[in-house]
Amino acid sequence: MEFITEPGKQPHPDCSTMILPALSIGNVGQLAVDLLVSSTGAERIGYLDDPYTLPCVGNDAYGPIPSGDLALPLEAYQSPANAMTLVQQRSPVIKGMMVEYAKNMAEFAAASGKKHVVILSSLEFARWQRIDMSSGLQIYYLSSSNTDGTDDSCAQLGWRRLQDYDPTQRSWNYLSSLAQGSTMQESTLPFEDEPEEEDYCASLPFAALFSCLKAKGLKVTCILCYCSEGDNMADSFELAEAASKLLQLKPDNFIGGDDGKWRIPFSWKTVYGPPPDLSMF
Amino acid sequence: MEDVITEIPPPSRFFQEDLNNFAPPSQPLPSPFLLFSDPKTEPLRPSLLIITLSSPSCYLFHNMCNKILIGSLILPEIPFSGNSIEPTLADKCCNIYALNDAADLTLLVSLKCSLSAERSNIVAKLLVGNQIIPERVLILGSVQSQNFRGKLSPDETYAFKLETLAERGNGSDSGESSLLEGVDYFPSGSMVDGLAAALLTQCQIRNIRGTLCVSWPDHGSAVVALVRSLLQKKVLHGFDLSSTAGIEDKHSRKTQIKDHAFDSELYT
Repeated sequence: MEFITEPGKQPHPDCSTMILPALSIGNVGQLAVDLLVSSTGAERIGYLDDPYTLPCVGNDAYGPIPSGDLALPLEAYQSPANAMTLVQQRSPVIKGMMVEYAKNMAEFAAASGKKHVVILSSLEFARWQRIDMSSGLQIYYLSSSNTDGTDDSCAQLGWRRLQDYDPTQRSWNYLSSLAQGSTMQESTLPFEDEPEEEDYCASLPFAALFSCLKAKGLKVTCILCYCSEGDNMADSFELAEAASKLLQLKPDNFIGGDDGKWRIPFSWKTVYGPPPDLSMF
Repeated sequence: MEDVITEIPPPSRFFQEDLNNFAPPSQPLPSPFLLFSDPKTEPLRPSLLIITLSSPSCYLFHNMCNKILIGSLILPEIPFSGNSIEPTLADKCCNIYALNDAADLTLLVSLKCSLSAERSNIVAKLLVGNQIIPERVLILGSVQSQNFRGKLSPDETYAFKLETLAERGNGSDSGESSLLEGVDYFPSGSMVDGLAAALLTQCQIRNIRGTLCVSWPDHGSAVVALVRSLLQKKVLHGFDLSSTAGIEDKHSRKTQIKDHAFDSELYT
């Protein structure tokens, strides 16, 4: 993975916290990063060229009036006021190469001096084992701070540790070995059998990123929410707000629109397609 | 019969394997490569590299005279069976032509076969920045309806463009205008994927002046005429286009006759 600085831009040394999305149901992590970039006025400083990301290109996603600035598959933004770097991913990873992609991303994060990486992602609502709606949308987390995945800062925010995380479970163990570069015999590959329910979380992209970043010695926090696929903008607001609370971002450092803190990206106007043709009625 | 209440519904935006760390990768393919009739040790440095990916643009340039076949992009996954000795539109290949002399070289790369998204990055790097180092790039593709978030009428023609920072910035500094003046930018929220996107991305990353023009629809006389008129203003100004006069109607008939269901590699 090669980082290419945009002409005239320079990475800010103080932006040592990195936020990046992990592909997931509802694209919630990606939508949340869109929201954070748009609302903090983060400036694009460069691109990441990775052989495992499928190509895509478009017009400026943020506005306020798109002027032809290209949107590429992997972009890096920085908000020095918030001391954070944001990486946006716009296209999928080539099938079967997710762990390699995660290794590349971890290599980039470590080489560029990042200290804390926050991964935003979502989980499928149909897989929610123990439903608890007493406190509204529950945010779950997974942290590298402790071996059991817990973290005091996240717990104090009222978040729950991801219950399905067990570092000794076969898939999590296998992922950890891959992240560390160990080669394992085929007999220990977890996907030879039919995947079981306990293999679900470890099979998701956020788990690959978590394992690879952790293997590099970086502090990693995954922020997760359960959702169904559909209009996931509301979920992305929850996730972005959660990231904002964890990193204690100041409201003054947001350039939100009329609704306050958050500014809707211009590209969201057509994210679910054009309005229906009313002439048919 | 499955229980629709308890059965887990499939996601609609991702395939299951897109979100599976343990999905096995596809079988690796041999690398593509460029083959030239007159191989040189130094890279080619055209002033303009035109890459035709869409049916209308391939058709337009196929009918253009005074182009010299100088090489091919060899894709090992594309069989040669069924291809002719002399290039035809039905061939599944990717030929490289020189449109004028070496002093002000314009290269044309005409891709007339499908390329998977997974192969796009490696092909794009082959065409831009290694053996071919262009000053300026023009990519001619099609609007992909599945990635377009606006309305597309089958009865109307559209053309949009995307430009690299070097192309947009260079225009304002030097007074040199865009290759496609008057063409609107591709609307925000819609995307282009595949080789067209990979090529423009390489241009952006390598700070090369690049323009991607996508047209709609992908067949018909009207869109061929549209592409021709866009290119005549500047890109092909000075080129002899007399051989392309009146070809629009032939393209319309040709694409109506072609039955994609029988476009099988079994029958050559």
